[in-house]
Amino acid sequence: MVKSLVFTLVTFLCLITSGGYAQEPRLTVSARQAVAVGETFTLVYTLNAQGSNFRGPAIQGFDVISGPSTSTSSSIRSVNGSTTMTITYTYTYLLQANREGSFDIPAASVTVNGKQVTSNTFTIKVTKGNAPGGGQTQLQSGQGRGGGQAGAAAGGTNDVYVKAFASNSNPLQGEGIVVTYKIFTKVPIAQINISKLSSFSGFWSQNLMKENDKLQQTTQIIDGEQYVVADIRKIALFPLKSGRLVIDPLELNCVAQVRRQTRTKTGDPFFDDFFNDSFFSSGIANVEKNLKSNPVIINVQPLPEAGRPADFSGAVGSFTFRAEVDKSRLKSNEALNLKCTVSGRGNIQLIDKMNVSFPPDFETYDPKVTSDIQTAASGISGSQVFEYLMIPRKPGKFTIKPITFSYFDLDKKRYVSLASTEFTLEVEKGTGEPGAMLTYSGANKEDIKYIGSDIRHIREGDLKLMIAGSRFIFSPLFWLMLVVPLALFLLFFGLWRKLAARRSDTVLMKNLKATKVARKRLRSAEEFRKAGRQDDFYVAISQALWGYLSDKFTIPLSELSMDSVHEALVRKNVAEAIIQQFIETLKNTEFSRFAPGEKDISMERTYNEALEIIAKIERELR
Amino acid sequence: MKDLRTIGLFLILFIQAPAGFASAGQLTIAKANKAYADGSYSIAAELYLKVAEEGYASPGLYYNLGNAFFKVNDYARAILWYERAKRLDPGNEDIDYNLNVANTKISDKIEPLPELFYKRWFTSMIRLFPVDAWARICTWLFIAGLAGLVVYLVSRVLILRKAGFWGAIILFFLSLFTFLFAWSGYRDTASTSEAIIFTPTITVKSSPDESSTDLFVLHEGTKVRLLDNIGSWYEIRIANGSVGWLPKTSLEKI
Repeated sequence: MVKSLVFTLVTFLCLITSGGYAQEPRLTVSARQAVAVGETFTLVYTLNAQGSNFRGPAIQGFDVISGPSTSTSSSIRSVNGSTTMTITYTYTYLLQANREGSFDIPAASVTVNGKQVTSNTFTIKVTKGNAPGGGQTQLQSGQGRGGGQAGAAAGGTNDVYVKAFASNSNPLQGEGIVVTYKIFTKVPIAQINISKLSSFSGFWSQNLMKENDKLQQTTQIIDGEQYVVADIRKIALFPLKSGRLVIDPLELNCVAQVRRQTRTKTGDPFFDDFFNDSFFSSGIANVEKNLKSNPVIINVQPLPEAGRPADFSGAVGSFTFRAEVDKSRLKSNEALNLKCTVSGRGNIQLIDKMNVSFPPDFETYDPKVTSDIQTAASGISGSQVFEYLMIPRKPGKFTIKPITFSYFDLDKKRYVSLASTEFTLEVEKGTGEPGAMLTYSGANKEDIKYIGSDIRHIREGDLKLMIAGSRFIFSPLFWLMLVVPLALFLLFFGLWRKLAARRSDTVLMKNLKATKVARKRLRSAEEFRKAGRQDDFYVAISQALWGYLSDKFTIPLSELSMDSVHEALVRKNVAEAIIQQFIETLKNTEFSRFAPGEKDISMERTYNEALEIIAKIERELR
Repeated sequence: MKDLRTIGLFLILFIQAPAGFASAGQLTIAKANKAYADGSYSIAAELYLKVAEEGYASPGLYYNLGNAFFKVNDYARAILWYERAKRLDPGNEDIDYNLNVANTKISDKIEPLPELFYKRWFTSMIRLFPVDAWARICTWLFIAGLAGLVVYLVSRVLILRKAGFWGAIILFFLSLFTFLFAWSGYRDTASTSEAIIFTPTITVKSSPDESSTDLFVLHEGTKVRLLDNIGSWYEIRIANGSVGWLPKTSLEKI
């Protein structure tokens, strides 16, 4: 107890003695305890002595925009002859909070008279930021606590900000919109550098402002505060696809000229006035600021499906179209120029080709495309010229089908198709024809060029409709067509057989009766002989012989004569000896008829011969 | 003699019969042809389909229907109708050509198994004529053979008799062959069944069960041969010989 009392006393005495000429050096930190995301603020270390070798803290969780910057102030106070001099060193950081949370600023240290002085630590709470342009003004921050001086800085978010505006956030696909980036500022700014341009994915873009254009400034009152507004970027955008497209923010940095409002609280009106005089305190701090615009959401409407021409390739706006050839009569191997011009307003640079169907025998080259585009603040207009060079290699008459160009008219809200006339080209045989020079190399033959492939055309005319599922094979008709002819044939065959049988029967009968008939005739001849009717006798004998022959060998009587009888019998395979005898008998009969002499005897002999030969044949055939 | 003439007339009438009727269908077809020529392919397809649904069939009708579906990029249906047309007229060059073009448009490219040379010859012989044409040729050859026999029987001139006899034998043989062609063509098309896949993507299973192993994947428009069916499943074989099971709903029979 006594010991502690003694210690306290000693300490107190020491304080008194030292306090006479110097203060204890102290390093204090001051800043706002709560900031919003995106806000810039100052972190100030104040030292009440002359320090050197300031070692700043390792600041985490914040972006150090500038600092540490050192400033000094001194005040001399004279009270009743004793003079006190106060020196203040301030080390100022300009920080920007970039994420939410609670962050510790570690201790900083400084060397004072060879001794190291350490500051206290500090905790800053970062809350969710409020959007730029929210209308809040937070100009001064970090009102000095300790030493009284506060470095006023380019303060709040809303002193300067960038905003993006779209002229139309619901365009049709291909319809041009203009996105303008504007900077709003209350403080003078300089050196605007765009650090990150928006990437216009899903758009075709065209810058509408030249790089070195002077910024047009206007003033505008927002929430009672006067802002200077300038367009920094103006871009024409043509959506290439439909749907929700997001233009990401543009980032830039600029130097804001911030009036440093230094206040020296000395308590002395003279000094205060003196130092707060505009001359002294008009120190303008150049504070670098990073600015970020808002993202822009564009809802792109698709073009209507209905009535879309087949050759539509995405042109939207209002256009005129013209096509011409530089000559219509030319010689083969001469160049020909086809010029297609599209002019008007809209996404004209997106028109990249024409639908030209060249005659197949033409040599063609990729078109030369010339664009004449005027960019104005309101959008894009101009013309696009396609020049096709082609060389006919063969003479003849060719046609280039009408060239069509389709676009979507934004005013009429429908598709418009434009077409050129059809071009007829007469190509005469040129002198430079390779075929003409290579006279002996044979014809200039070429393979057939296949230009496209497609299915073959439908069949027209009578399609010969049948009932589905009906088939001829194995149908009743099929069987009928086999069975009926077969049945008819069998019927016919049967009839034929019967007929043939009957016919062959008559032949047989004749054959069988032949001898009988012959005998009968011979008998009647015998009676004629007895009656002395000589002529009748010979007729009967002759009839008997010929008749027998005819019946026996089925030879028609008409085929039989003295000359042909031999032949006919040979054909019937009758033995030669019999044939000879038969013919002999026939001849004798004829001869005896007219021969002189005893008629009775010769008649009898003829009769006997006839009988003999018939009997002989009968025997032979048996 | 009079009888023979009536029979002849009767036969001719029967042979010509299928060509003569269905003029209402013809009217619709003319309309469809016009729609097709004007480029309104979906309307043409609808009209052709109407005629087909009324129960008419013709290779030309099916071919046109395939064309109309092809033009509206419905390749599976196009292939289905080309295949149906091919069944009725297997040797038609236009049908083959368009079927080939349609087959290049579908996802599955299946390398067919090579056939033995005599089988190939036989198939190409069969495809020379439609099945019914073969059948008709067969009947006429048979009738001509019978006529040859009649000549043989009736004629008294030796050469005619000889010609009639040998001619009849040759004609009967030819008739037999054409019958074989017709019959095997009939067996190839009418009695065996094939189908076209109508599901954009389908996995072929190893057995008729949803939980069985996945074998391979087929796409819309591929032709498969049906081997067997159990419940709501078909056993199928594709051109390269692979076999598996598919649900019936994913297929449309040719």
